[in-house]
Amino acid sequence: MTVLRDYAAATSQPTLGDPDGPGRFDEVVGPDGSLRPAWKGLAELAVSLTPGDMYRADSDIARFLADDGVTYARPGDRQGPWRLDPVPLVIDARTWAPLEKGLAQRAELFNALLVDLYGDQRLLAEGVVPPAVVLGHGGFTRAVARRSLGEQPIDPRPLVFSATDLARDAAGEWRVIGDRAQAPSGLGYAMENRRVISRVVPELYRQAGLHRMEPYFWALRSALIQSANGDLADPRVVVLSPGTHSETAYDQAFVASTLGFPLVQGSDLLIRDGWVYLRQGRGRMERVDVILRRVDAAWSDPLELRGESQLGVAGLVEAVRRGRVRVVNGLGSGVLENPGLAPYLPAACETLLGEPLLLPGLTTHWCGAPDGLRAVLDSLEQPSRPLHVRPIDGPSAELERLPTAKVIERILDEPHRYVGQERLPFSQVPTWRSGAARPRPVTLRTFALRYGGSYRPLVGGLANVYDDGGFRSSASKDVWVLKADPADADQGLAEVMSMTAARAVAVTVPRVLEDLFWVGRYAERAEDMLRLLIVTHTISEDFRTSPGSVGGASLAVLLGTIGRLAGRQFDDLDAEFRSLLTDADRVGSVAHSIENLRTALTDVRDQLSADTWRAFGVVERAHEALAANPHSHQVADTAGRILTGVLSLQGVFASMMRDDGWHMIGAGRSLERSLQLVHLLRSSTTVRRGIDVDRTVLNAVLESAESSVTHRRRYRGYVRPAGVLELLVVDPDNPRSLAFSLAEVRDHVAALPASTGSTRPERLVENLLAEVEDQSVAELVAIGGVNRPNLESFLDDTLDRLARLGESVEDLHLRSGPPPRSFGALAIVDSLPAEPATGTIPAITEPLADDAPGTREGA
Amino acid sequence: MRYRVSHRTVYSYDEPVTDSFGLAYLTPRSLPWQEVASHEVAVDPEASDLAQETDYYGNLATYFQVTERHTTLIVDALSEVTVTTPIHSDAALGGAWERARPLLDPTLPGAWQATDFALASGSAEQTAEAKEYAAESLTRGRPIGEAASDLMTRIHRDFAYDKTATTVTSTIDDIFGKRAGVCQDFAHLTLACLRGHGLAARYVSGYLATEPPPGKERIVGADASHAWVEVWLPDHDGGGPGEWLAIDPTNDQWAGDRYVTVAWGRDYGDVPPVKGVIFTEAKRSTLRVEVDVAPL
Repeated sequence: MTVLRDYAAATSQPTLGDPDGPGRFDEVVGPDGSLRPAWKGLAELAVSLTPGDMYRADSDIARFLADDGVTYARPGDRQGPWRLDPVPLVIDARTWAPLEKGLAQRAELFNALLVDLYGDQRLLAEGVVPPAVVLGHGGFTRAVARRSLGEQPIDPRPLVFSATDLARDAAGEWRVIGDRAQAPSGLGYAMENRRVISRVVPELYRQAGLHRMEPYFWALRSALIQSANGDLADPRVVVLSPGTHSETAYDQAFVASTLGFPLVQGSDLLIRDGWVYLRQGRGRMERVDVILRRVDAAWSDPLELRGESQLGVAGLVEAVRRGRVRVVNGLGSGVLENPGLAPYLPAACETLLGEPLLLPGLTTHWCGAPDGLRAVLDSLEQPSRPLHVRPIDGPSAELERLPTAKVIERILDEPHRYVGQERLPFSQVPTWRSGAARPRPVTLRTFALRYGGSYRPLVGGLANVYDDGGFRSSASKDVWVLKADPADADQGLAEVMSMTAARAVAVTVPRVLEDLFWVGRYAERAEDMLRLLIVTHTISEDFRTSPGSVGGASLAVLLGTIGRLAGRQFDDLDAEFRSLLTDADRVGSVAHSIENLRTALTDVRDQLSADTWRAFGVVERAHEALAANPHSHQVADTAGRILTGVLSLQGVFASMMRDDGWHMIGAGRSLERSLQLVHLLRSSTTVRRGIDVDRTVLNAVLESAESSVTHRRRYRGYVRPAGVLELLVVDPDNPRSLAFSLAEVRDHVAALPASTGSTRPERLVENLLAEVEDQSVAELVAIGGVNRPNLESFLDDTLDRLARLGESVEDLHLRSGPPPRSFGALAIVDSLPAEPATGTIPAITEPLADDAPGTREGA
Repeated sequence: MRYRVSHRTVYSYDEPVTDSFGLAYLTPRSLPWQEVASHEVAVDPEASDLAQETDYYGNLATYFQVTERHTTLIVDALSEVTVTTPIHSDAALGGAWERARPLLDPTLPGAWQATDFALASGSAEQTAEAKEYAAESLTRGRPIGEAASDLMTRIHRDFAYDKTATTVTSTIDDIFGKRAGVCQDFAHLTLACLRGHGLAARYVSGYLATEPPPGKERIVGADASHAWVEVWLPDHDGGGPGEWLAIDPTNDQWAGDRYVTVAWGRDYGDVPPVKGVIFTEAKRSTLRVEVDVAPL
């Protein structure tokens, strides 16, 4: 049997056990057991798919998504892998056509609603929409409203890009279940889903004849450029992100880099004279004309909106009011994400557009109206609770945990804040679950873009499936909208100009440079620890059971070196190695460096080649192999594979443009290499432990500093401290030597825009390099008792100076100025006379936990 | 009465500020009972950007940015205003309070505009305690003018004026807990009480001219910003947007010709005299405010 046949057979059976269960519409199989029209064209290929094919597709998807670094964070969680089901949601042209019309109308209506609500408020004055639905909603942003009659609205086209979530009811009719108007997410995920699915089931994809998505991105790019105020020849567009910890950080970076616009954060922007500028390193700045906003309005300006926000830009609202920047979507658009509007949309559509509303929504009862309140209270008294009660501007999760009496109390306190919505049995789609296609409820996120004079829905979308009847999506699906005629233009956009594969213009804002500096440092730190770990593991395989032997003593020295950098957590060596490879919470471990490396890279994703993320796919698979195999030799195998992954990044960096960012990576990398080398030497070479132990240790040092081959060639296997130090400290030609690495630091730092030839970092590195080059190895190896005191003090001194050098680079090249603070919360004093009020300025806390630069550990 | 109002706000920081954004509500509104002859807001160091805005509620806000490095920021507002005592019709004052609830009677003339002030707002949370406290004044069928005045008088009687009792972030629960507060707290409390019963009420920020004790000179700079509340009286007969009765629970009186109205909003958060964002490493700031309302 094949997967779809099994599914069809199971689906068309009369429902057992649950006769009152929701009669769900099935997207693939009709009531008579035959395939729906959308699937008929695919039948031959689709029906022949075996469970084996599906297993392969499913695991290919996971690998492709990992290689592309596609992540998603549920609210409150860490970034986790994005999930994509192998079976697409397929919609035929005839089903799509009315939907497309309805979505275009809805976007137009929403734009008109915004213009009215932030302008003369005719809908409220005439009672078409009850004022409390709008004024009692947290998204209504008074700072951008102009109520005075005759004044032009601040933003005549506040809605540029919106999203609408749909579901099909039992009769197969599409219904709106929600709208996203502030900063809709998902277009990037939709495109990524398409890229992956087209690679995983290429035959099916080719057969289908569906609308490709690329032209839609071209249209979005052009719409954003054209939304600039005034008549600018070359408007600057940026994508404003709340940062790496945002749920949909991947989506934001994907959209930014596909459109070729820089991905920025609030601290990268500043306001001067009511204009918005992008910081471009020391004092240079560049005007910004359009901001595609992925930060919620409330967090967009700490001056006029939420004062504690560090995600926004102080003064942004004023810049918007003066028409000096376009924010897309407008700052007030969140008021549309409002189920309380639903009952009034048909009338609003008649009033504003003079036509009936096309897309039906969920039947919704607003508790601010007497009959709405009655309907909701009635529902709460029934055991089946036919209505889903939710606030008009927040999640309903909290409400669902309350006892009914409490819910009623809340509603009666502020009825206008609640609605009751009908519960819809969403349509179901086959979804790959533990070896079979099983029916799962599905919703469809659609998008609409103002392009030219009208709104154009994306012909496609992002589908979500749900397990256990939950509200949280458990996987996504690609959405295939089939063409009526194979000759139809993709997205109906024959006329759009194709984008040259636009890469984001390099952004040299201090935040980006800082991230790249740490990219260089963490990549090197991970590499050096891996090499040390591999060498140590090899020795441990032979000598862990004989601590008294030469090998055992050498092993102790190397473990001491690891301990110096990462502490010691387990007595058992295997457990210790495994922890060093996989415990991201352990400071100094390989996993910790890689996690920080990934975070820093994610922050600047728009600047990077897509190949970057493969490295982490390799690391993940190496971790899985380690988890699956308890044998000790797996440690070596996994460490080797992780090293391959990390080294592949060096290849990615090598093909970067030689710009400020590249130099920053280089400076970070060489500085870190110097530091790691000095730590290694400091813990292994300053104490004499007898000729045999010293020789084993020195060999291991050469090995982990990747210099064994050179050493063997030069000294014919005769290992002495002097030779090792000659090669690792002063040799100007060994790329692993301290002198070489410092020269690299010098060259990279000199190339940075703030360098003048005499800045502090330049002076520090120059002096240190000169001393290293002049260092006499004979003096360094001089013996005092069991120690080498000269070497010891030289290495300690060098560590201090490297730390100072690192700080000076950060101070000069990476500081973006002090953080914003709010001084709004100070009491008015109505006493006589006014006494000075002294208070601590409240530190502004961020809604999303963020990794402040200060929390990164320097080794 | 004619007044010259000067309002100086001085912020001192323990480290330099490199960039400072401010939004100030310091310019009195022009109103039927209040004429503004002149007004000016100046910032020192000189602002690189200074603009006057009319906000959503019709208030005049001053936006400024100072880009000169500084450790002291002075915002000086100077205005001359003539105020008369607002007059309210007996019909408006005499309507039953139950007929002044915009959410329950959305078809009342002007109700749609009053709605914004009948909804809960951040600093005037509608607690059960406030609702219960207000119920004693809002007895069945009582004329709204009388009911609001009674509430004002009771708050004046039951709550002590105490600058140390509360802070700018105090909640309605805090105020009930301490049974004390300052003008801003009493205003928020009054809002919570009235809105809890469906009435529309707004927060007013302004000044009250103080009279020196008998036989004493007036002390310059000894006045202060003040806050009170206005409650909506619908125009049942005329069909107009209605009028607003200004009550001052801090002083147990209706606002008359000694009250200079600067701005109104849902609560303090909409109309603070000065708020801002500074870019600085400073950990501490000191605020000094000098207000003088001089009769002319």
